[in-house]
Amino acid sequence: MSPRAPLMALEIGAELRSAPRPMTRERMRWYVDVQPTVAADDGRIHTQPPTIHDDDDYARKQGLPAIIADGMISTNWILGLFFDAFGPSLAEKGRLKTKYIAPIYEDQVVIAVARLTARTAQADGGFGYLFDVWCEDDTGKKLTVGDALIHAPA
Amino acid sequence: MAVGGYVSDLDVGDRIGPLAYTMSKFVVREYCHANELHHAFVQGVDGPIAPPTLVHLDKLRLYRHGCPKGTGPNARIHYEFDATIHGAVTAGERLTVAGEVTERYQKKGREYVVMVIELRRASDDALLIAYKDTTVLAYRKSGEAA
Repeated sequence: MSPRAPLMALEIGAELRSAPRPMTRERMRWYVDVQPTVAADDGRIHTQPPTIHDDDDYARKQGLPAIIADGMISTNWILGLFFDAFGPSLAEKGRLKTKYIAPIYEDQVVIAVARLTARTAQADGGFGYLFDVWCEDDTGKKLTVGDALIHAPA
Repeated sequence: MAVGGYVSDLDVGDRIGPLAYTMSKFVVREYCHANELHHAFVQGVDGPIAPPTLVHLDKLRLYRHGCPKGTGPNARIHYEFDATIHGAVTAGERLTVAGEVTERYQKKGREYVVMVIELRRASDDALLIAYKDTTVLAYRKSGEAA
């Protein structure tokens, strides 16, 4: 699928927004469990010792009030916006940068957003589409911020 | 050089890797499932493409290899993900990954470590993803009571 056609239709300032999703305990744990599971790569699920993402007592010992989400969940939800809109193009060429500016706590509602800020011609005849990206909660408070560059080939 | 100890000991100039591995379909699909990426091009049977975010787990791969004693006294907190994608990583591809600690600094009572990671195709050494990872070594600020 070429991402160019849907990208060309976007006006500067256009936004992609995800549906609101609560950051449940299960969503946090999925990212905890996937780490040793990927490391083992044997087709089975693996777990790891308590982390600040799945064990409240451990999180409190680390100075947190409770478990918080791994920032990569936010980054992946932002990536999902681009996969939804443009297919795999961001997995083939581009850039994704995210900074985790506020902790995300259990059941906090998270909305992933990407806003087109610029369109630039590339040396290969294609176009680069620059987006501001962020995750916000249901009050509009930003939790994760960054930017992304999507490359649309000629 | 602090390689061989704890992650919290890593310092500027420390290098880990290159390590070689093969990207498996299981890894791609499992990682995407955990992150609710249910698109056919990452969940399919034939040649799924790895999401570029999966490079985050290459950092952990490097930590396991270079820091066999583990994390250190405190849990780390991821602060920044910055990946430039030069080419697709497809399941079945043989890869190499290497990392270097380029910065270690204190800001507002917390200690930050920056590692630059390169993921390359093993067959021709082509750079597929250049990743800069910034991690905070502890949530609690220095001087705060445990």
